[in-house]
Amino acid sequence: MFKFQDFDGKILALRAEMTAPVARIVTTRMTTMLEPIRLFYVSNVFRYSQFYVERGREFWQAGVELVGCNTSEVDGEILALLISSLRRLGLREARIDVGHASLLKDLLKTTALDEEKKGILQSLLAYRDEARLEKFMDQNNFPSRLREAILQLSCCRRLEEVSSVPLGSSEYGKAHDHLRNLLEVKDVLDDYGIENLVFFDFSLTRKIEYYTGMVFEASVPNLGLPLGGGGRYDDFIEKFGKLKLPATGFALEIEKCLQALTAQGFQTPEKTKAKTLVSSKFRNAAIKAVKVLRDAGVVALLDVTKSGEKKIMNYAKLAGIEYAVFVDSSLEKPATVHDLRSGVSRNVMIETFLQSFGGQS
Amino acid sequence: MKRKIRIAIPSKGRLKQPSIQVLQRAGVNILEEERAYVSKTSDPRFEAIFARTFDVPVYVHYGAVDLGITGHDLILEREADVHELLDLGFGKCQLVVAAPEKSKICSIKDVQAVARVATEYPNLSRKYFEGLGKQVEILRVRGTSELAPKLGLAQIIVDVSSTGETLQKNNLKVIATILDSTCRLMCNKISYRTFENEISEFLARLRQGGLK
Repeated sequence: MFKFQDFDGKILALRAEMTAPVARIVTTRMTTMLEPIRLFYVSNVFRYSQFYVERGREFWQAGVELVGCNTSEVDGEILALLISSLRRLGLREARIDVGHASLLKDLLKTTALDEEKKGILQSLLAYRDEARLEKFMDQNNFPSRLREAILQLSCCRRLEEVSSVPLGSSEYGKAHDHLRNLLEVKDVLDDYGIENLVFFDFSLTRKIEYYTGMVFEASVPNLGLPLGGGGRYDDFIEKFGKLKLPATGFALEIEKCLQALTAQGFQTPEKTKAKTLVSSKFRNAAIKAVKVLRDAGVVALLDVTKSGEKKIMNYAKLAGIEYAVFVDSSLEKPATVHDLRSGVSRNVMIETFLQSFGGQS
Repeated sequence: MKRKIRIAIPSKGRLKQPSIQVLQRAGVNILEEERAYVSKTSDPRFEAIFARTFDVPVYVHYGAVDLGITGHDLILEREADVHELLDLGFGKCQLVVAAPEKSKICSIKDVQAVARVATEYPNLSRKYFEGLGKQVEILRVRGTSELAPKLGLAQIIVDVSSTGETLQKNNLKVIATILDSTCRLMCNKISYRTFENEISEFLARLRQGGLK
């Protein structure tokens, strides 16, 4: 995080993400609002790490938070909203990979592993290096049930597959609950009809620490980095006030979404509104003409340079303006309209000129 | 139709030939002149990219290539968030701190806070010395950091050593080891999702091909 000192010695920081600011607002300014609360944001955020030196330390996020409810329906809604957001952007083949922030933690509670070894196990899972993972578990005398469960979980790709992971015994009770929770989310996804776009990834860990439940990442095959992600954070909001509010949310990185669209060959649609530049020796008439054009929904600029006709037309051409309109002493008289793309000029009444736009404006 | 799977391998140095052999063991032979940066292979699903060893982790992290072969030390140095699917065994080396033989610096304790460290590994060096609570000055050099103590540019260096021969030749002694490394087959995390079947099959062929 970027941190620096204020003039009076207070520590200031640039926001690295938006969930913390949202949590603060929910606990301080929205205390009377009825839950669940649904919020969205579009904002710039700042990251300090080396990784962001290459990518730009400021980037934009668009995200949502659903605060005050912890049902699987909430998790399902957030995933469905993520999928439909990506579709609305025009992205094809988007998928979500889901993991669980507490699953591995609670599985390892039964072992005597210290923090360092837990870290090694986590990175071996993230590496997807099965050979070394197995070796590590053997060296550290993992009970065979746990060993099996971890290997099976790292092979599961679909949410429903986790139901076959053998975690019946009571010592893994909490982990078992997490898997059941994921299966419930899967049922919700069925009802949204997006169950085939959401996958399970045991190795998935989000770098943010406040997640407690389901975590996820969105991606498309054309871009090597995830477009965004999110998860459930049930213990985070209480840190900002007295309210204990469960929540789930996601954030999409806008620049990455644009890169993904470009990679998929998406073309930005050309603007449809025609632009006009209005000029007159009679300022009063010009201002009136601009108003008439704008009221009709046409983009109109007023010439303020008092230059000659030639200069004005030249400027209009370079500025991508379609029509230069030269107005006489009043709107009762015809104006000279130059179509800068065709080079054709004609004398028409402003009303008639407007009609010629038809549906174009 | 799916696009080709790109695999990046070192364009020169001690890791190049063994990396080409790894591909061969998995039944992927490079068909074109190696001077080309992009080469077709005997398996139409794969194409090979020759890249600098230091850059391979960055290519994989960003998904410019799907798979890559390079040292574990470089993956850590470039802070690449990738799957390290397989320890390929070759390219064994250690990242070490070394000082001139005649220097009074005999262990890491002797390193003064004002010491200058020349290295190709600024990230790992910074993290190592920060972990020890030593605020040294890190100078990033490209290649031949062994030269730095001789010229008085730095008192110590951080560099990789496989046999210790180069260090010896330059009258340098190892005073600490930062990490052990071998060559890894790594994979972009999104590519793994997109091409899981092809990549699993590639891994299986590699293992059958006798990789220990």
